[in-house]
Amino acid sequence: MNVCSPRFPIALIVLGAFATSASLLANERRLEVLPESVELRGSAARQQILVTEYLGDAAVGSLDEGVAIGSLNPEIARVENGVIVPVSNGQTRIVAIHEGRGASIEVTVRDVEKPSARSFRHHVQSVLAKGSCNSGSCHGAVAGQNGFRLSLRGYDSEGDYLEIARAARGRRIVPSDPGRSLLLLKPTGVLPHKGGTRFDTNSIEYRVLSEWIARGAPPPREDDIRIERIEVLPSASVLAKGETQRLIVRAWFDDGHSEDVTHWAKYTSTNATVADVDESGLVTVRGYGEGAVTVWYQSRLVVASITAPFENEIPEDAFAKTPSRNFIDEIVIDKLRDLRLAPSSLASDAEFLRRAHLDTIGRLPTAEETRAFLASDDQDKRDRKIEELLERPEFVDYWAYKWSDLLLVNGKKLPAKALWSYYSWIRNNVAADTPWDEFARQIVTARGSTLENGAANFYVLHRDPQGMAETTSIAFLGTSIACAKCHNHPLEKWTNDQYYAMANLFARVRTKSTKSRDNLIVFDATAGDLIQPLTGRARPPEPLDGEALSLDSSTDRRAHLAAWLTSPENPYFARAIANRVWANFLGVGLVEKVDDLRQSNPASNEKLLGALAAHLSEKRYDLKSLMRAILRSTTYQRSSRALETNRGDSRFYSRFFPRRLKAEVLLDAVSDVTGSPTEFNGYPKGWRALQLPDSNVASYFLKSFGRPDRVVTCECERTDEPSVAQVLHIVNGDTLNAKLSAKDNRLSKLLDRKLEPVAIVEEAYLTTLTRFPTTRETSRTLAELAKIAEKERREAIEDLFWSLLSSKEFLFQH
Amino acid sequence: MIEFTGDGHANTCDGEGLSRRDFLHVGALAALGLGLSDLHALEAAEAAKSGKSPDDERACILVFNLGAPSQLDLFDMKPEAAREIRGPFKPIRTKSDAFEISEVLPLHAKHADKFSIVRSCYHTAAAVHDTGHQMMQTGRLFQGGINTPHAGCVLGYLRGRRSELPSNVILPEPMGPTGGDLPHGQDAGFLGKAHDPFSLMADPSKPNFRVPDLLPPKSIGEARLARRRRLREIVEGTVDGFEASESAKLMDSNFESAFRLITSAKARAAFDLEKEPEKVRERYGKNRFGQCCLLARRLIEAGVRFVTVNTFLTVFNEITWDIHGSKPFTSIEGMRDIVCPMYDQAYSALLEDLADRGMLDKTLVCNLAEFGRTPKVNPAGGRDHWPQCWSVYFAGGGVKGGRVVGRSDEKGAFPAERPVEPAEVVATIFKSLGLKLDQTLPGPQSRPFPLVDYGVHAIEELF
Repeated sequence: MNVCSPRFPIALIVLGAFATSASLLANERRLEVLPESVELRGSAARQQILVTEYLGDAAVGSLDEGVAIGSLNPEIARVENGVIVPVSNGQTRIVAIHEGRGASIEVTVRDVEKPSARSFRHHVQSVLAKGSCNSGSCHGAVAGQNGFRLSLRGYDSEGDYLEIARAARGRRIVPSDPGRSLLLLKPTGVLPHKGGTRFDTNSIEYRVLSEWIARGAPPPREDDIRIERIEVLPSASVLAKGETQRLIVRAWFDDGHSEDVTHWAKYTSTNATVADVDESGLVTVRGYGEGAVTVWYQSRLVVASITAPFENEIPEDAFAKTPSRNFIDEIVIDKLRDLRLAPSSLASDAEFLRRAHLDTIGRLPTAEETRAFLASDDQDKRDRKIEELLERPEFVDYWAYKWSDLLLVNGKKLPAKALWSYYSWIRNNVAADTPWDEFARQIVTARGSTLENGAANFYVLHRDPQGMAETTSIAFLGTSIACAKCHNHPLEKWTNDQYYAMANLFARVRTKSTKSRDNLIVFDATAGDLIQPLTGRARPPEPLDGEALSLDSSTDRRAHLAAWLTSPENPYFARAIANRVWANFLGVGLVEKVDDLRQSNPASNEKLLGALAAHLSEKRYDLKSLMRAILRSTTYQRSSRALETNRGDSRFYSRFFPRRLKAEVLLDAVSDVTGSPTEFNGYPKGWRALQLPDSNVASYFLKSFGRPDRVVTCECERTDEPSVAQVLHIVNGDTLNAKLSAKDNRLSKLLDRKLEPVAIVEEAYLTTLTRFPTTRETSRTLAELAKIAEKERREAIEDLFWSLLSSKEFLFQH
Repeated sequence: MIEFTGDGHANTCDGEGLSRRDFLHVGALAALGLGLSDLHALEAAEAAKSGKSPDDERACILVFNLGAPSQLDLFDMKPEAAREIRGPFKPIRTKSDAFEISEVLPLHAKHADKFSIVRSCYHTAAAVHDTGHQMMQTGRLFQGGINTPHAGCVLGYLRGRRSELPSNVILPEPMGPTGGDLPHGQDAGFLGKAHDPFSLMADPSKPNFRVPDLLPPKSIGEARLARRRRLREIVEGTVDGFEASESAKLMDSNFESAFRLITSAKARAAFDLEKEPEKVRERYGKNRFGQCCLLARRLIEAGVRFVTVNTFLTVFNEITWDIHGSKPFTSIEGMRDIVCPMYDQAYSALLEDLADRGMLDKTLVCNLAEFGRTPKVNPAGGRDHWPQCWSVYFAGGGVKGGRVVGRSDEKGAFPAERPVEPAEVVATIFKSLGLKLDQTLPGPQSRPFPLVDYGVHAIEELF
């Protein structure tokens, strides 16, 4: 930072003037000094400050050049290279001036007479973490490195202290002559160190370690102050491509004091195509959109958001003119305005009809339905159609299939009767509009015969408490806790303690067999706990961050979990299902992937995800209510046509994002269009792909178009990516071709009606693409058909249908 | 004129002049709505792209040992170590003076003059299969949402196709779930899906194996195929929402690739394992892995530049290298009795066959895995994940056989000499293929992205 530290004889007067002018110009860039107030405790305390320009609530770039920073009373605190240094107890202000604008903050200095007492728990561990000494690739590996083993990123201070100060016969530290300690000789490269030189003898790292050793290497104590939270400043920045922003990080402790840990924190970018961050916390914007920087310090996480607006010029009325139907639209438009992405116009009635059908019930509208809808001049016809779709019987097929994916209904793992029992349970609950919290509660607390209570099969699929806890977490919280099975999650808040406390909620689930091989009884034993390997003890059962039960409590453990899971205070549950439902309709989840909700993977529109979750919880987890809000929104009903001013958008819903139809939906659509149902081995004729209870039904079509195997709960099992194999199957495969040439199919009936060619073309387009052909399409198609001999009439119609079924317009949702 | 059906095989003639194949080609072009001039333009572009340098003929077969074989029981045995370290098997002498190998791989021993082992590979990411898959095939761990491309996709991107066949093929299909819920690094990543490998999606050891849907059904001849294409063009282009959709553009390029395959007699022949004598098919082993290795050789011969063979597709409920010792994984006996014989047979057949045909010099065969196994045998009698040290090996493509690079410590736990990172393995593949390491690829948002990071080199000791 290029700063000078002038004295300010008249600064106080000037300052008053600044305050007035800033408040008059709310929409202008203003200067701020971060953090907005500072308390320094002890002579060793330091606080880096950041002079940043703000526009509204967002930082728009830190100023490194041409800033004058000074203290009003250098006898209390000084500023050295952008860092406040305490001098004596008292209060003063730090002032920054840049091009005629200024800002100031208050600084309080306390306890300068007290010696600094750097602790093992906070300071030594900070050095080890920042130097990556305790990372998974070095001494933080399960086996350690070269006989020296630390806990991953320092989650176990007590154990690490023993390893450093006591193990290896104590030769790692030499209190009488700190400089001879291995702990200092190795990382400075004086002795050979496979990890290379981590810091030099003039560094702050060296000073922290050597001072701690010189003080006799005091161990971590039970009554050490504990870290409560960390804070990153600025928490939200709006920057242009190529601009940089410095971050500062403060840790707050339970005695009320804070420390500047900017130097010790670890920084990672969640979306490096938008913004990069280096190890000092300097952010550089690389592209457009939204990025985030995850800041980690001592198992705490905080996220700084980085917005890089697109370089589009958009008149304000582009946002004002697009209709706002409900809260979804308001929030989406705000985001588009911030990012300078123009909203596309409304989709046509035909596009809406096709889209809503496919996303809500997984089935195309018939030609008759399309004709009727397009012909209707009812102002509310879209809303009416939405209501109709939500009550269609196919709605149950579609959503039962979706939740069967989630709950892994799979004939490879369950006997047939149990499979049907599990599937029917899901299906019946979808049909009954069971609220999602009730649905989850019944799964989590399921017991009894697996044939009588289908939900109990959840516990047949997952046989150990760890698997049950992990799957419950993925399915209903959209978050993976698996990393915490072995150690604290290195980049998330979940700890190994929390993992075993959560898993212990399932420790008493048992199954017993009955006379029938298919039937198992799920019940709870009255005793038994899961041992946490790290401590050799069981942890009191506790839902991730809920209330713990005592180990001897007689409360039903799973009921306790279910109550926490579905309580309105649980922030994860509603967000997880809201994101899943949203992604079903919009194609792209607010959080991607939909089962990867975590603090370090923020939603593309946090406010919207929060609002959807709140809506669900207000409506008592009635999923249809959420679907209705989404379906009615302009956001959902926007055209997929890209504008020059929103072409770069792939996350923010400025237009509808086309996507290939799901395997099952596509297969059913081909069957419907051709009037030739798919035959599945062991199922009656006419059974639809979306009605299959089991993912384990042989079908090359479904496999190559990305049907999930239902082995692990993960959205990643399904893929909607187009591939060459799919195209080969469309062109040469026995699915389309066999259906087109099947006897007595729709094509045969069309031929029997002896329609004019023009009517046949119209019927073909309506049936496949949910729209009338354009004049140009009609004339060109008729010209092509006219070349074909009368005796090849059947083949000609087949070819016409093939061309439509293989078109992107058919294969894609758009 | 030309029979363009799924019956039998097209009679190809590779003599001078306008062969039957060329006829087919011309007919096929018509089906695509292209003329001869388009063909010449395409071919010229291809030639310019490839430059037809001697490197153009270099190829790679990457055998990915999904599940991760145990270095201590196979390639880097420690007979002097304690029993719980050295495991149940004994080393045997090989055709190389430089190394011994496990008794469960006797055919490897006989071909040890052709391949060289790197015994000091390690990585530092999380010990889940998926991370190793990413690093060993793309050279990097996926971070910040940037998925780096598979080495074969990089090659395909830089050199284009060499024939009607795709430049890059995965056999039998891409990796499935291995527990980490992360991408496996078998696609083109930021280069775009259009550069993804062609995936066979079938088991070539099955009776009547053929590439799914490569041939049109009997009832649809050339004329109808052409008509279908024309009708399809009428409807395509009406929805303009697709022009900004990557996924839709990919569908277009998939249609092009598919039609190129369908209309190529050479492609059909290359995939046709029936053309191999039964003895050869048996030599490779009549199982999925064996026939994939044979098919890999045929494809390289026909002009494919890069073939990845996934030894296994998942670690769940399948007998694989993933010898945790307990279900749903594999026991050490399962590896000895089922995995090793199949693997040993196919690999030795591949080396022998490539050498006999004079292809080995130009074809790198590398056998990689995502990590090694724990030095200590676990209570279930198996070994768990161990990324701190493992072995990989290379043959052909300029690599000298019979050598050992790097050394592990006395427990096979850590590299003791010449530690090798995954990035260096991928750099070695690039070097063998004749790619310059200092060039860049178009990265995310058009950022130039180096082929390998600055300072990463190939394992020169192999060459």
